[in-house]
Amino acid sequence: MSTEAALRDRCRALLQSGEVALVVGYRAARTGGNCTPAFVTGPDQAELLVLDKTCHHNLAAYLPGLRHKGRVAVVSTGPTSRSIVNLLKENQFDRKDLHIIGVPDPSSAPASNVRNAVLFDEFIGDKADEPAPAPDQDLAAFEAKTPAERWEILFADLSNCIRCYACRQVCPNCYCPTCFVDASRPQRVGRTPDRSDTIMFHVMRAMHMAGRCVECGACARACPMGIDLMVINRKVAAIVRDRFGHVSGMSLDDPLPLTTFTPEDGQEFIE
Amino acid sequence: MDSASGSDIIAFLRRNRMAESDIPSEQVRPRTAAAPFDPRIVAFLCNWCSYAGADLAGISRIQYPPSVRVIRVPCSGRVDPFHILKALQEGADGVLVSGCHPGDCHYLTGNYVARRRFAVLHDLLDFFGIEPGRVTFSWVSAAEGERFAELVRHTTERVRALGPMSRLARNATARVVQ
Ligand code: SF4
Ligand code: SF4
Repeated sequence: MSTEAALRDRCRALLQSGEVALVVGYRAARTGGNCTPAFVTGPDQAELLVLDKTCHHNLAAYLPGLRHKGRVAVVSTGPTSRSIVNLLKENQFDRKDLHIIGVPDPSSAPASNVRNAVLFDEFIGDKADEPAPAPDQDLAAFEAKTPAERWEILFADLSNCIRCYACRQVCPNCYCPTCFVDASRPQRVGRTPDRSDTIMFHVMRAMHMAGRCVECGACARACPMGIDLMVINRKVAAIVRDRFGHVSGMSLDDPLPLTTFTPEDGQEFIE
Repeated sequence: MDSASGSDIIAFLRRNRMAESDIPSEQVRPRTAAAPFDPRIVAFLCNWCSYAGADLAGISRIQYPPSVRVIRVPCSGRVDPFHILKALQEGADGVLVSGCHPGDCHYLTGNYVARRRFAVLHDLLDFFGIEPGRVTFSWVSAAEGERFAELVRHTTERVRALGPMSRLARNATARVVQ
C-alpha cells in the first residue's frame, strides 16, 4: 500500500473513532499546481488527503489558530515537525491536544535538510534518506563579498518587497496577535514607501527568527516578488548554530537559544 | 528620559528625530562639505551601572565629545534590537549600548540574555553590510566614569570615520537610488 493510501486509512480511522476532531494535511489544488492545505473533519473526507512531491506547506503554521478546538492531527514532514517542536516549546499548543502523524518529506526539492519528522506519535511510510550535511556554499560565497557588496545585493533585492507580509502569514513562527509591523501605538515600522522601513522589517524579521526558523522555505515560496529570503534565514540559523550550538526544532529538551544564556557565551564584540 | 517603557523609547526616538529634514534648519548645524561632520550617537545606558558611570564622568568633569544623546533604560536586557535600528533610521549615525558587567546585573541575568541577542544582531548587521562599527556594545560599571568618557571618545571617532549613516536612514536610501 502506498504511503498516501496508508495515510488516508489512518486518518479515516482517527476521525471515525473520535480520537481527533480534525486532520490537517494536504489536498490537491483546485487549480492544479502545488498542493494546498486540507482541513478534514469527517471520515468521508479522508479521501481528499494527498501526499506528493508538491506538498511543501509548513502545516504547523495553522496550529496556533486551532488551539482549544479539540484534538488535532497534523501530517508532519521534517520541517513541519520541527516547527511543531518549537511551537510546543513556546507554549503555543498543548501536546495532549496534538496527534502528530510523521511522514517523510515527499516534496521534490526540500528546502530543509531534515526530511523525516523528528517528533511524531506515529510514522507512516518508509523513512527517506536524510541528505548528508553539506557546507552551505551559496551562503559562504555571499559572505565572502565585501560589506558594501552585500548591502547592494540585499538592498536591491529587498527594494522589491511590497510588504504584503505573505512571508509572515505562512511562517509558523509568526503567531503574535499584533505583529511589530502592524503596531500603531506607537508605530514601530513606518508605513511609508521609504525603503528604510522595508529594511527595518526584514532585519527585525530575521532577528525574530533567530533560533526559531527551521528553514522550511515557506516564506520564500510565498513571496510574490521572488525575494531571496532564504539567504537571510540560512544566515540566521548559521549564526545561532555557530554561536550557541543550537539547531532549531530538533529536540524538545534544549531551551530556545535566545531565552537562555551561559556565562561563557562569546563576547568578543563587546567593548 | 526617565521612564523607559518600549512605547516611550520609540516615541522618544520619533519625537527627537535627528534628520535635518525633520528639524527646523536654524536648530541644526547643516551638514555641508565645508562643515566638519559631527556624529550623533544615541546611547542606551542601563540605570544601575552605565548611566551611573556616565553620571560619574559628568560630576568628575571628565571631558568627552558632546555627541551622545542618552536614553536611560532599566537594564541592558530592555534594549530591543528594534530600538537600536530605529535610532539609526531616525537620524543617529551611531548607537552605543551599555550595561553592567557580566555578573553585576541588578536583575542578575538581564545582561547575559541581552548579550546573546546583541551577538545575533551584531552578526546580522555585518551580514547586511550595515557597518557593525556603528553599533557599539559595552559594559561600563558605576565606578568607570573615565572608561565611559573614553568609550564615547573612541565611538565618536569611529563613527566619524564611517561618515553619516545612510544605509538604514530614512530618506537617505531613496536618495542613493535616485
Ligand atoms: S512575501 Fe515578499 S513581498 Fe511580501 S512582505 Fe514578504 S518579502 Fe515582502
Ligand atoms: S522564516 Fe521562512 S523558512 Fe523560516 S520557519 Fe518561517 S516560513 Fe519557514
